[in-house]
Amino acid sequence: MSCALYLRLQNVGMRFGEGVVALDSLDLSIAEREFVTIVGPSGCGKSTLLYLVGGFLKPTAGILTLRGNPIVGPGADRGIVFQRYSLFPWLTVRRNISYGLEELGVPRIERDRIVAEHVRLVHLEGFEDRYPRELSGGMQQRVALAQTLVCQPDILLMDEPFGALDAQTRRILQDELRRIWLRDTKTVLFVTHDVEEAVALGTRIVVMSTRPGRVKEVIRREFDVSDGEDFEANPQFSALKLRIWHSVKKEVEAVRR
Amino acid sequence: MKIVPLLLVVMLWQAASMSGLLPAAVLPSFFAVVVALLSLVKSGQIFPHTAASFLRAGTGLLIGTVCGTAVGLAMARFRPVQRAVEPILLSIYPVPKPALIPLFMVWLGIGDLSKITVIALSCLVPVMVSAFNGARSVDEILLWSARARGTTEYRLWWRVVLPAALPQVATGVRAAIAIALIVMVSSEFISAEHGLGYLIFTYGGVGADNAMMAVVLYLTAIGFLIDRAYVAGLRRLMAWHAFAH
Repeated sequence: MSCALYLRLQNVGMRFGEGVVALDSLDLSIAEREFVTIVGPSGCGKSTLLYLVGGFLKPTAGILTLRGNPIVGPGADRGIVFQRYSLFPWLTVRRNISYGLEELGVPRIERDRIVAEHVRLVHLEGFEDRYPRELSGGMQQRVALAQTLVCQPDILLMDEPFGALDAQTRRILQDELRRIWLRDTKTVLFVTHDVEEAVALGTRIVVMSTRPGRVKEVIRREFDVSDGEDFEANPQFSALKLRIWHSVKKEVEAVRR
Repeated sequence: MKIVPLLLVVMLWQAASMSGLLPAAVLPSFFAVVVALLSLVKSGQIFPHTAASFLRAGTGLLIGTVCGTAVGLAMARFRPVQRAVEPILLSIYPVPKPALIPLFMVWLGIGDLSKITVIALSCLVPVMVSAFNGARSVDEILLWSARARGTTEYRLWWRVVLPAALPQVATGVRAAIAIALIVMVSSEFISAEHGLGYLIFTYGGVGADNAMMAVVLYLTAIGFLIDRAYVAGLRRLMAWHAFAH
């Protein structure tokens, strides 16, 4: 695995208006082809962190660089998948997926070929002409994933993409995402509040502190996780999950006090 | 089944006329009105007036819709536009637009131009309000999503803001259609040589109540059909959106 420093956040701070400090002097470095998951108590600023990398928000302090270039705004080099409602309701599945290609000016024939390939990748054959409101939550997220993948981003930003799905669908999509990552070895930055998900997907897991959000600890997963694996039966998995769970729980309790 | 209450009203109307409870001097019977309408249609007399009226209403509606959509969207996305337009919009909002007809006739003459202008202005308001609300409620996630997929700030208008606001604009246009018909008839009452409003006014003036009511019935039927056709058209064209009735 290449260890070239890829995405760097240095001393990043973000405050909204007066008083609300979402992130404070946050440092994080991500190497190319890493799958980094970020967990933390709700309201710790983990989504804000993702929006900063996406270029949708501008940090009030610090600097973010991608391949050494400062991030100044949104761009197709960073693909984002939101929790929900990110599909264009007026476009069919096919047109939603081809959106980024249309914006790039890819010719029609080429577009059709790439879209068909991605429809297969996320198992949406037969639904190409449906509108988002006709799809289940899980299918909508598959479309959103395909919509992002066609743009061939350097890094995938995922904001609790499976958070609104039922446990079964979530598990299936996690496995699919892992397969896609292994196949294309893209860099992934994945925000979740689900500790099991963080361990199941992340090769490195970042635990964030409660607001103002900082990096509390970074844990490397030293073992592989495979599709359809019974996590309960894997003692290494359970131990890591428990350890991270305690770390997050301490932060949750800090808020309550 | 939806037609049952309507039939009931018509039957009551006819029964009241036949029993003498409702003298023809007050309101002609339903049958008498239908007979008068049939003769107006048969003679073809009503069609040039229909064409004149709907040309005015259609042109005014089109101008009001295009301008209303453009200004409404601009208001939603640019603060200075909102600050400039909102006070004007709020002050013309409660004005009964037909009250402006005499003024516009002084300015623009008694012909079609003044009528179309008043119709356009009347249609502009509801469309502008709905376009503004529609564009303002565009989910930020969609704008971000588009930006992250290579859409430039300028193209966002075309690719996200307009389509996202479209269902609300369409609802505003539906209200504008009804308003266009109201203002059309009102303006033709005041001064016209053609038009359905002119016919109603003229027949009413000479005591031809049957013919007058026939034109009213005709106008009602056309208005109803336009509205139903519009809603049905929307459902087809915007199948992606769940419209209310």
